[in-house]
Amino acid sequence: MVTTGELRRLMRHPGFARLGVVILLVVAWEISARFFLDRDFISPPSTVLTSFGELFGTPGVPSALWLTLYEIAIGFALSAIIGAAIGLAVGLNRLAHQSFMPIILLLYGLPQITILPIFVLVFGIGAASKIAFGVSHGMFPIMIAVAAGVQKIEPVYFDSARSMGASRWHLLRYVIFPHMIPSFFTGLRLGMSGVLLGVLLAELYVSTAGIGYFTSIFTQNFDATKLIGLVSVLAAIAIALNEVVRRVELRYARWRD
Amino acid sequence: MASAQPAIRVNGVSHQFGEPGEARYVQALLDTSLDVTRGELLCLIGPSGCGKSTLLGIMGGLFAPTTGAVAVAGKPVRGPMPRDLAFVFQESALFPWNTVRENVMLGMTFQGVAKAERGARARRALEAVGLIDFAEHYPGQLSGGMRQRAALARALSLETDILLMDEPFGALDEQTRMVLGEDLSVLLSRSNKTIVFVTHSLGEAVFLADRVAVFSARPGTIKQIIVVDEPHPRKPSFMTAPKFHALRDQLYGLLHDEIRKAMSETTQPRRRYGQTGPAETDGERV
Repeated sequence: MVTTGELRRLMRHPGFARLGVVILLVVAWEISARFFLDRDFISPPSTVLTSFGELFGTPGVPSALWLTLYEIAIGFALSAIIGAAIGLAVGLNRLAHQSFMPIILLLYGLPQITILPIFVLVFGIGAASKIAFGVSHGMFPIMIAVAAGVQKIEPVYFDSARSMGASRWHLLRYVIFPHMIPSFFTGLRLGMSGVLLGVLLAELYVSTAGIGYFTSIFTQNFDATKLIGLVSVLAAIAIALNEVVRRVELRYARWRD
Repeated sequence: MASAQPAIRVNGVSHQFGEPGEARYVQALLDTSLDVTRGELLCLIGPSGCGKSTLLGIMGGLFAPTTGAVAVAGKPVRGPMPRDLAFVFQESALFPWNTVRENVMLGMTFQGVAKAERGARARRALEAVGLIDFAEHYPGQLSGGMRQRAALARALSLETDILLMDEPFGALDEQTRMVLGEDLSVLLSRSNKTIVFVTHSLGEAVFLADRVAVFSARPGTIKQIIVVDEPHPRKPSFMTAPKFHALRDQLYGLLHDEIRKAMSETTQPRRRYGQTGPAETDGERV
């Protein structure tokens, strides 16, 4: 039996209210989809849940998921490498920062969807254009976070490391890298959602495979059940990736406790 | 004659930040010459912004003076000399992302100590400052006094003949500062190191130093050198001796006008040390 004390402790846990809101939303969705809305446009969660088997049985869907995952993975890796490299270069050099930071901020602020056709023209309608568009969304937040992160390093860390004989590599490896890790991870998480957005937008725009392709197919066929099922899978992927980044980040943040 | 060679020779050093006409232009040091004798503890004392910390950075090769030259053990200083001298800075210059032990080990990595030797040397240094039980703590988990002892351990582990200490106890409260001062005096009497120690505190200077170099207001230069003839390790009782007070009063007399002069100035150099820094730095205490 649950005692009243245990129950009270449970209710004060932040997860309690959070779970409550999620359940409430799902119930509201179920009721409105079942009784008030057009079944061509929206499916109740119970139907979506029970037809996952059908969704994965649809020819092309499993490979589409793998393709999109592959595009996201490559896009994310490239974004991290390019973002960190340019962020370091711009963050560590005063002149480079003053010269190039406004350009980076401008490009980041630009609604890139307007130049998506150019990506397709240059990279074709295959995976390359999706990866490229993902990178162009993902690398800027990483760049900006890394540049900001390395700028705030106390000069005394450099002085003390140099006085002990640290080489340039030592400074990078033992002073700059550890210092930039928290902001790097913040950038990675923002970059991850950027890559996801870029890849999916490109798939929606023009493609013959991938999740984006199937979302537009399901939409055109008024197959709301499969559409929402696919979106749920996508959401699960996004949450899982974010969680992976967060876990890795925690391992490097022990000293901040 | 090798024994007569000073540990550090400062010859006609002047230093300015920026160029005349620029907003950040400051003439920090003017034609300063000084010999640091082997095995002594020399205090540099002076009003804010007189260039005493700048001089320490120049001695340690963190940056080159505008004019003049410094030699350490007869060798001209052209950059950091990790085998000859080690720094202890005011604020904890320990890396917050490394434990105390890792910090000490890292210093030896930079200096190029063989891997096999590092562990034993780190242990010895941490034992010397009484921090061996806190080796696995992160700096953020330690008090200010313990952090400075850890910074001292890192410097000691480098086994250099010379220690350059830039207001190492400046951020600590008076009581911690006194105790650490006593510990340093004991350590010094055993180790035979040469120490240059920058401080703001008159009492600290008299208590620790064999000689005190008094700086004038900016542009700083050495106004006078006072000798404190008292063997190490110094006891707390020295602080109440008439000699201590006479020397302290003498120092204050020398500094008084300079401090007034310095207070009427407002500009401070942007940075004390090196060029290898981040792109932008906030304004800074000197």
